[in-house]
Amino acid sequence: MSEREVDQQLVDRAQRGDKHAFELLVAKYQRRLLRLISRFVRDSVEVEDVTQEAFIKAYRALPTFRGESAFYTWLYRIGINTAKNHLQALKRRTPTTTIFDAEESEGFEDAGLLHEVSTPENELMSKQVVNVVNSSLQELPDDLRTALTLREIEELSYEEIAAAMNCPVGTVRSRIFRAREAIATNLRPLLGTSKDKRW
Amino acid sequence: MKQEISALMDGELFDDDAEETLDELKRNPDKHEEWQTYHLISDVLRQSENVHANISINIHERLQAEPTILSPRTRASHNARWFALSAAASVMALTLVAWLSVQVGTETAPQIAMQQSNTVRPANLPANGLDDYLMAHQELSPSLNVHGMPTYVSTVASQQEDQ
Repeated sequence: MSEREVDQQLVDRAQRGDKHAFELLVAKYQRRLLRLISRFVRDSVEVEDVTQEAFIKAYRALPTFRGESAFYTWLYRIGINTAKNHLQALKRRTPTTTIFDAEESEGFEDAGLLHEVSTPENELMSKQVVNVVNSSLQELPDDLRTALTLREIEELSYEEIAAAMNCPVGTVRSRIFRAREAIATNLRPLLGTSKDKRW
Repeated sequence: MKQEISALMDGELFDDDAEETLDELKRNPDKHEEWQTYHLISDVLRQSENVHANISINIHERLQAEPTILSPRTRASHNARWFALSAAASVMALTLVAWLSVQVGTETAPQIAMQQSNTVRPANLPANGLDDYLMAHQELSPSLNVHGMPTYVSTVASQQEDQ
């Protein structure tokens, strides 16, 4: 089952009344949608509000989603439209004259070009999270770090990683999990409990 | 189970295992947190020097106020449509093949007849020299135009017609 198929599986479940399945999609795509919307909306509080609104709109529109495009493409389109409607309502101009479509938005990866207006507290927390993840990655044994890097940064499949590292697919799966778990162990004290979890 | 969550987010689980893991994620809030944390790690590694806060708690609260969706299985109808389209394409392909085979059958016969009248002139050959004659002239045989047919088959048939 590919990533897209997992998304579709979650959509199917949500369409059958499983709200939790939709929340798994929210957990997966929230930061990507926040990043996208922050290209249109300057204020960080508004970015969060618009993103929430976009997710709620997507939830309400789920019965119309037929799976002909990828879920994230559809979600990003809703995000862009919600951001534009928000700006129209505020009688503001978009921060850029470039027209983005959903496909371009998905491919947009250059964080350096994003303007991220955030509160000092959020920025500090964000930097701490990034530092912990990056330093934890560096501390990993070579085989775990390589497997996770090939997966997350190069976006290779397990089979491709197995070929690159000359090991069975099962070993790749185990290494990636152990790498994630090692980083997560270092992150958890920073993230807090589920009640007050903001990250 | 955590390893399954990790594989699920990479799209590397078989269907049954994926279903089972999704059920477990629904039942167990701790597993839901694992899903969130692994995705946070993924987002940091893939995208950003600066990551956004988690807004899923706010969305969770808003979702509770939303009516539960119970929509018909749109994918099933989608699949049915694809099935109908592929069935129609198969019928078209079969029809085309049948039509082509009929065309080949009706077009080659006159060709053979015409070429026979031009090329197979010398009819008064001694019976014992027939084989040599056929072998020597087989490249002129009209049967070469008939795809997949051994050359000697049609040539012999045409000789019989002349006699």
